[in-house]
Amino acid sequence: MKFLIAEDEISLQQSIVTYLEKDGNVCECASNYEEAIYKVSLYDYDVIILDINLVTGSGLEVLKQLKKEKKKAGVIIISANNSLSDKLEGLDLGADDYITKPFHLAELNSRLKAVLRRGKFGGDESIVFNEIRIDTRAKSAYIIDMPMTLTRKEYDLLLFFVTNKNRVLSKEIIAEHLWGDNSDLADNFDFIYVHINNLRKKLTPEGAKYIKTAYGSGYKFTEE
Amino acid sequence: MVISTFALFFYVRWLLKQEVEEELFSAEARIESALNAGKHPSSLAPIIEVLEVDQPEASFTKDTVIYDPSQNEMELFRELSTYKNINNKFYKISVRVLVVETNQILWAIIISYIVIVLVVFIFQFYLNKSYNKKLWSPFVHNLEQMKTFSLLSTNPIQLLDSEILEFSELNKEIALLTGKVRDDYENLKQYTEDVSHELQTPLAIIQAKIENIINDQSVTEVQFNQLTSIQKDIQRLTQLNKRLTLLTKLENQQFTYRENIEITALIDQIIANFSEIFSIALSFQKTNNILASMDPYLAEILCNNIISNAIKHSGNNGPITIAAKDMILSVSNFGLKPIANPQHLFTRFYRETKEVKSTGLGLAIVKKICDLYGYHISYKHVQDHHCFSIDFDTTRVSNK
Repeated sequence: MKFLIAEDEISLQQSIVTYLEKDGNVCECASNYEEAIYKVSLYDYDVIILDINLVTGSGLEVLKQLKKEKKKAGVIIISANNSLSDKLEGLDLGADDYITKPFHLAELNSRLKAVLRRGKFGGDESIVFNEIRIDTRAKSAYIIDMPMTLTRKEYDLLLFFVTNKNRVLSKEIIAEHLWGDNSDLADNFDFIYVHINNLRKKLTPEGAKYIKTAYGSGYKFTEE
Repeated sequence: MVISTFALFFYVRWLLKQEVEEELFSAEARIESALNAGKHPSSLAPIIEVLEVDQPEASFTKDTVIYDPSQNEMELFRELSTYKNINNKFYKISVRVLVVETNQILWAIIISYIVIVLVVFIFQFYLNKSYNKKLWSPFVHNLEQMKTFSLLSTNPIQLLDSEILEFSELNKEIALLTGKVRDDYENLKQYTEDVSHELQTPLAIIQAKIENIINDQSVTEVQFNQLTSIQKDIQRLTQLNKRLTLLTKLENQQFTYRENIEITALIDQIIANFSEIFSIALSFQKTNNILASMDPYLAEILCNNIISNAIKHSGNNGPITIAAKDMILSVSNFGLKPIANPQHLFTRFYRETKEVKSTGLGLAIVKKICDLYGYHISYKHVQDHHCFSIDFDTTRVSNK
């Protein structure tokens, strides 16, 4: 997959690149408005990660340009501004998703995958990971073609694991993905453990082996 | 006033005496000329008496009191008695005139004074009143303006100009002061907004870098735990930031969108969400549905904050009791001691204890949302429970 990361903060830009390249994706960068406009009109990307506040111009203008040229790239807007009007304006202009700084790279990655699924096939598709198949349209999952009865949270958890495979996910990141802002209310993240245990049981030994503990308190979904 | 009353009294008395004596002398002269002409004027006691006497005596004037049968009282008379030799006969001519009594003079003066004073006073009173009303009207108007002055409204304060120097100086100072207050407030707001905005990017960088470090193979378990602990702190900072921004937005009244929200359904949803995270029991007694017209985002924050506040401060002593009845939503949690300073309960960054980790903004936001929509929020401590109630009925609130 080929991505464009239009972000004027080089540190953040490089961190995103490092994270996304782990899956073997190709990442190109644009550090200002002109570079973004230039690359968008010249090349085709699967997804563009677009900061609204590019140092020399607005990311929304890049988005307008993109839509004018009828490019098919998916767009995820990054903004420091958590305002609804910005969000609505971005989505109205044809952005696929909107994420507010600061965000977890795992969260960005999972949204990126969702945008890709929708963009590529005009709708949601199935994600296959060895014995596990997730039907994102029906929001259901199968283990060796046997349907699993997952709760909403267990389904989200499985999808989050699969889209961020081979990466260490701390309990905090998982909690924040599943429960949003409410997760920081909890004194401890033992409740994550309960949910992961339930998921492991439902995945049967064939699927459960992929959920591995990392560093004692984190998790990693991996084949190794 | 009293001195002038007495002065006038003595002057009037003296005048009257002079006048009476003049009258007496002229009457006496007329009688004398009548006697000279040979006529004998008839006596008219006690006014005129003409008597033939053997020996002349010195003339004199005196006051005398004579009984007046017509009025049935003693009356004061001024009397002039002269002895004249007319046609070789000696006559005693006594002329008397009824004198106005002193106390009557005094009363007349006092009463007229009182009447004058009263009339002047009443006249002055109404004159002053209407004059003052005109004079103070710009001041009163400006005072009303100052009472309704709000930092939230963007219009500058409208002051009426006055011809009075002190008032126009006061106006100038008020305009200056309100302008300064407003500027300071705007600066403070802008500062909060800028700070929270500018913090987002560095936070995002730190967070992204930590995630990449964690995914490096070369991290030890101790390092991993430290890094996730940093992530937790970033999360806290992010929450703080989000809430501060929200408070600023509430103060700026940037939430104008409204739709009908079923608060009770929202509570059901939040309870379902919370029970996945917390082991504490949440009980919901729904007597009637609560419908409120508000921003859906704010409605969720309102319910979320009030319930999470109860969970945080319950010390894991359940259950949290939530009740919906007659447009009143109440949330109560266990707590032995009542809040020490309930007046600060809704102040930002006020924490009753340091034990519970919180941003200290949750209830401040709840209060601001309630204020925005005119809902009444109250706190009371009953039977070892902290109880917060929100009255969604704005008509009832305004009647209070």
